[in-house]
Amino acid sequence: MSHALTIEPIGETISVADGQTILDACLRAGVYLPHACGHGLCGTCKVDVVDGEVDHADASGFALMDFERNEGKTLACTARLLSDVTIEADIDEEPDQQRIAVRDFTGTVIALEDLTHDVKGVRLALSGDTIDFQAGQYVNLAFPGVDGSRPFSIANPPDKNGHIDLQIRLVPGGAGTGYVHRTLKIGDKLSFTGPYGRFFVRVSRGGPLLFLAGGTGVSSPRAMILDLLANGYTAPISLVHGVRSQADLYGDGEFSALAERHANFRYVPALSAEPDDSDWRGERGFVHEVAERLFGGLFEGQTAYLCGPPPMIEASVNALMRGRLFEKHIFTERFLTAKDGVDKPKSPLFKKI
Amino acid sequence: MSGAKKLGLKQRYAHMTRGLDWETTYQPMDKVFPYDRFEGIKIKDWSAWEDPFRLTMDTYWKFQAEKERKLYAVLDSFAQNNGQTGVSDGRYINVLKLFLTGISPEEYQAHRGFAFAGRHLRGVGPRVAAQMQSLDELRHVQTQIHTISHYNKYFDGLSEFRHMHDRVWYLSVPKSFFDDARTAGPFEFMIAIGFAFEYLLTNLLFVPFMSGAAYNGDMSTVTFGFSAQSDESRHMTLGIEVIKFLLEQHPDNLPIVQKWVDKWFWRGHRVLGLVAMMMDYMLPKKVMSWKEAWEIYFTEAGGSLFTDLARYGLKVPKYADVATAEAEHISHQNWAIFYQYTHAAGFHTWMPDAEHLDWLSAKYPDTFDKYYRPRWELWAKLEKEGKRFYNNALPQLCQCCQIPMGYTEPGDPTTIAFRSSTYKDQKYHFCSDGCKDIFDNEPDKFVQAWLPVHQIFQGNCGGATVPDVLAWYRMNVGADNMDYVGSPDEALWNEWHAEKLRKAV
Repeated sequence: MSHALTIEPIGETISVADGQTILDACLRAGVYLPHACGHGLCGTCKVDVVDGEVDHADASGFALMDFERNEGKTLACTARLLSDVTIEADIDEEPDQQRIAVRDFTGTVIALEDLTHDVKGVRLALSGDTIDFQAGQYVNLAFPGVDGSRPFSIANPPDKNGHIDLQIRLVPGGAGTGYVHRTLKIGDKLSFTGPYGRFFVRVSRGGPLLFLAGGTGVSSPRAMILDLLANGYTAPISLVHGVRSQADLYGDGEFSALAERHANFRYVPALSAEPDDSDWRGERGFVHEVAERLFGGLFEGQTAYLCGPPPMIEASVNALMRGRLFEKHIFTERFLTAKDGVDKPKSPLFKKI
Repeated sequence: MSGAKKLGLKQRYAHMTRGLDWETTYQPMDKVFPYDRFEGIKIKDWSAWEDPFRLTMDTYWKFQAEKERKLYAVLDSFAQNNGQTGVSDGRYINVLKLFLTGISPEEYQAHRGFAFAGRHLRGVGPRVAAQMQSLDELRHVQTQIHTISHYNKYFDGLSEFRHMHDRVWYLSVPKSFFDDARTAGPFEFMIAIGFAFEYLLTNLLFVPFMSGAAYNGDMSTVTFGFSAQSDESRHMTLGIEVIKFLLEQHPDNLPIVQKWVDKWFWRGHRVLGLVAMMMDYMLPKKVMSWKEAWEIYFTEAGGSLFTDLARYGLKVPKYADVATAEAEHISHQNWAIFYQYTHAAGFHTWMPDAEHLDWLSAKYPDTFDKYYRPRWELWAKLEKEGKRFYNNALPQLCQCCQIPMGYTEPGDPTTIAFRSSTYKDQKYHFCSDGCKDIFDNEPDKFVQAWLPVHQIFQGNCGGATVPDVLAWYRMNVGADNMDYVGSPDEALWNEWHAEKLRKAV
């Protein structure tokens, strides 16, 4: 039997399996809790139990004192839930985060468009229903006959919430994306859950924003930028969208038009594998290389939002840090496919980048 | 009326601690904090310091008080139940002697160093963190002195630990390490002890001793380990926060920090050679080999750390590759030094028995049988023939790490490495390129090193003969020093053992 765990101050509720620790459940749900030893000895992962009952299990008497047990503290790395529980953990509060409950939806395909040779634009209408979400969030989509679900970012801004637009690249050998590209047709119904994710614009921080997107990773930034401009964000906004070649570029007409209408928005498509002798007059190189050129290698003062495949994120984080923009000002959404394996071992130096 | 949102942990902490600091008005801040500029470190915004623990002093006292009560309860019951008779073998006590005489006094130096940093760093966040760590270190040394006082009732070599610390040749190795850190500026101290020692290398010190204790039935030390771990995790986090903070604050800090990381990695590696020898030679029940520990705790864990630090432009410490290659040799070479100079050491030595030799062959298949087994077998043979080998000449010491110059050339384990530098018409000697580089960067500091052998030759250590010097060390000759076999420790252990057998029958 599983129990519900609510994590304050972010207000997220997740499900915790029998015997699963709070820490394990949180990390798997994408909620980072500070931790170190992982087996109840060091006390780094101490949290307050605000409501409900936990079993402290193997928490060391030296890491979780009696007086602390009496005060309702526990160690996330050993504690198991005995009931539905609310904890308060040491997580940065996000004034810009909205608390939106995850729901199940059914959408009808009302538009299917070849954005490029391997990217499909899919519009799912909610037929009378609406979905609340924050620009940048994603949904988990299920396909008939395909095990599990697949995450896709919502490409439309949240003020148009009678439908969701998804941009889906055909992953070679991918069952889910293969279904979209080969089988899906207008009028089909798909079920999905959402919204998920903590990738949203920290508007209250203000200041210039830098979006770095790779491939279909531009879907979240599209929603975020449309939302920002519609709401009158005045500080500079830059978008660098990297793809391989002109044949892979899409959305450039819309972004160029936006840049003409909004003096504070700059749009830079970047091609990494465009033939040297082609007619392309724009930027060439990987996203992070183009961004370094545009900003003279110095990113201090920006807040960066990175969305795309893991190597692009990694290279971009490195470039940003070389340019003196650090973890506090970098937000990422990694596009993993079912093929991306386990992360390489990480040091505790960084929490999320 | 309602609707006032409850504050988060971070905000509550900020409200509880804000405004504790102030800008001085009748004295300039530079006079109040005279030491945080000369090292060249530039801090643009002290408030960017993130306190990862958000521990108030009130909670700190409550927490530590309960922890101490629990720890001392265990130490007391260990003493009342004569826990010392239950360890794996009498030889194990020599591991404790090495830790308690070599490391415990450094806990006190760490206490003083963090008190200094806690006074002289301008930002309130790091000041509070350094002050708490200063208190932790003071508690640790107190606890360990209680342990000394217990074992000192039964075993030799511990009674003059404080006196010996400032005099005995090998104790000068960890002592000079901490003296160097404590005479540096507050930022270098934080990198040296906070980052390099407490973060990068701590698992190579702490884990071997604590798991060694667990494997060998020493529950008092294991309990100390548990009690210290919640402090250690805070110290490690502080070390990580320090290096991030310095690197993020100003690009000019990078070359300075890199130089410190290079220096303190190498100095730490040299001190840890004592742990290497302890793991491979002194634990009656082995945990793992030094080489295995190095692979897990430095090559793997350090590797992922430096991959992440590379984002700041920080490189893997200079000579890390040399240190990794040395993991094949350092424990054997250190044990050889102590075996030869057992008459001047405050703990006992022995030649490994057949089973132990085979374990070493298995753990070091590429080197042990070729370079070290023949020497141990020869020395064991000489012992049997009544010609036990002692080195009666005083060794040349490295000007930097103060270890006798017994280490070999990288890639050539049969040639002793010698390096030297000339400074102001004097020649100085080093065991390695790493130690020479450190000297060359700060010659004016290292020419002042108090080298035990030089001091003996200069007539500052009680006299010109070995007995004179041992008397000056307050070495209880024939009890504190020499081989385990034939020592009063061994006699006592055998007596306890015989007693147990009698009772069992």
